[in-house]
This record gives sequence, structure tokens and C-alpha cells, in this order.
Amino acid sequence: MKMLLLVACMLATVVLTGCNEESCDGRVQVQDKVKSDNLGGNIITRPFVAAGSGMLGHGIEITDVKQTRNEAGLLEVSVIGFNKAYNPNRFEYYTEWLDESGAVIESATDNWMPFSVNARSNFSFKVVSKSPNAVDFRINTRKNRKVK
Amino acid sequence: MKTIFTLVVFSILFVLTGCVQETKNIDMTNDNAKAVLALDYRDFDQAATEMVQSLLSSGKLAKPEGGQYVLTTGVITNDTMQRIDTDLLTAKIEEDITNSGQVIMTSAIGGKDSNRDSMVNDLRDVRDSAKGEEFQQDTLPNKGTLIAPDLSLSGKIYQRNLSYDKKTQQVEYYFQLKITDLKSGLRFWQKEVLIGKRGSNKAVAW
Repeated sequence: MKMLLLVACMLATVVLTGCNEESCDGRVQVQDKVKSDNLGGNIITRPFVAAGSGMLGHGIEITDVKQTRNEAGLLEVSVIGFNKAYNPNRFEYYTEWLDESGAVIESATDNWMPFSVNARSNFSFKVVSKSPNAVDFRINTRKNRKVK
Repeated sequence: MKTIFTLVVFSILFVLTGCVQETKNIDMTNDNAKAVLALDYRDFDQAATEMVQSLLSSGKLAKPEGGQYVLTTGVITNDTMQRIDTDLLTAKIEEDITNSGQVIMTSAIGGKDSNRDSMVNDLRDVRDSAKGEEFQQDTLPNKGTLIAPDLSLSGKIYQRNLSYDKKTQQVEYYFQLKITDLKSGLRFWQKEVLIGKRGSNKAVAW
């Protein structure tokens, strides 16, 4: 009973201290082991939290997509998101550019591009169309199995 | 006895031929196969894509006064332990930046044979020789019709092998490209793409 109380107190301390350490500006990311301990960063609780995150199937979340046309008339797309998992997420993305009729514009460098995001971090990547005829796009993702 | 022996031989042959690894075509758009220590087509695709994305988003190819730059591919050095045709990298880049409408490639001059079309010079040699009289003169190119390139694409692929631990080696591949303005000698753009691999010491990276 005494032991349980001790563990509960330790956990409560970790949670309470960890909650106050959010960055005041969302643009600055402070990773676990850099910021003060919380449940996800504490050396004892981290494996359990990471396992729980894995069981819950946490992954990336796309929060914003911005589309602009650059000076050369090429379509530029910025994809912004957040990795909800407590582990780094390594994935690949594939971009298809579509013309006015909705047909795919093929290019020599159409392939899956690797991308890696830290645990519980914001991320963004940008893609540029290779033809000024591109008016729309499609981006697909898959797990990157080549990287460890 | 003879029949049994023949059957056994046939059975062994059947089993042995059945063990041969079946040849399959690679699904080039969805190839989830393991990485290899040497450079494979996926590495060239990745490097070329990153180069093209950097070049097109830099806006350096957009001519301020309008029109298109004429680009030639200069020398790309293969400084790796592998026998690599550097066109594996540059052909994709040339294709995409040409299709972007920002540059025109020239085949009149180039860093290596595959970047040049020898017929450009051959036809001029014919024009200047006795054989030239056999052609309708207005179908032959006039002197001073070739257009010199404004820009040159050059660079190198460099390999670095390191010992990671007793059983593992680390191989780093650096793809470095730059575009130079041939009139002023000024460098317009440059980009390095690094691809790193770790694998068994027993595997060979060439």
C-alpha cells in the first residue's frame, strides 16, 4: 500500500511539473529530454506512454495545406501537420499534379519521397509542380520501410 | 533397379530446378524492397527529385527579361567506387526542367558525348566538304545559326565509406550539383543531397 502511494505521488509530480512546460510559442518545439519531464518524457513512464500511443495508433495529422503559384507560374503546395505519436514517424509521400481537365501530368521525377518527423512535433514539407499547366494536386502517403 | 535410379535422378533434377529463385519485374512505383548498400534506382530518383524541387522553387531559372535560358550539361564527376553513368541523375533533371518551360537544353555542346548530338557538327562538316554540294543548299544550316548556352549544369557524386562498428559499415553518398552562368562565371544555384546507408561489413558498396 505504501509502495502504491509512493508511485502515485511520483506520477502526480511528473504530470504536474510536465504540464507547465509547454512552449509559449507554437513555432518553437521543445522535445522530450530537453524540456522538463512529463509522462511522455520521463525515463520510467516513457516506454508505457510510447506503447500506449502505439496501441492507440497515433500517427500524423495534417493541419493545413497552402497553395500558391510562384513567379515562374508553377504551383507550390505546402503541407503542414503534426505527429501525434510518441515515436518518430518515417513516411513517404507521392505527389500527382493535375491539369485543367483533371488528367495527371507525368514527369521524370514522379516517385515516393522520404520524410521523417520527430515524436510529438510539427512538420511541413513543400512540393513544386514541374509544369505550369498544373492546377490541382493529389498527395498520397505510405510507411517508409527502407529507413530504420 | 534402373527405373528406380532414373526416377530418383529425375526427382532430384525436378527439386533442384524448383529451388531456383523466380525472376520478377519490379513494381517501380510501389517498390517496398529493402535498401541496398550501393546506389540503386530509388536513390537516383530521390536525389533527382530533390534537385528538381530545389531548382524550380528557387526561381533562379525564371529569366528576368522573359524568355528561356539555354542550358547545357557540363561535367558531372563520378567520384564513387561504383561504375555509374551520371546520366542516371541528370537525364531526369533535364527532362523535368525542360518540361517546366523555363529552360531549353542544347545538344550542340556538352560535357560528355551523351549530352551532345554529334549530327550537329557532322552536318556542318558535310556542308563544308565536297559532299555538301549533293544537298539542297537551303536545307543545310547556315554559319552562325547555333545558339550558345547561357547556363551550365555540373557537379559530382561522391562516396565516403566509414567503419560504424565491428560488424557495420556506413556509406555516405553526396550528390552535388551547381548551375553556372557561362558569360559571367557566377553560380546561379547549387544543391547537395546526402543519402546515407548502414549495412553489414560483408556487403560491398561497389
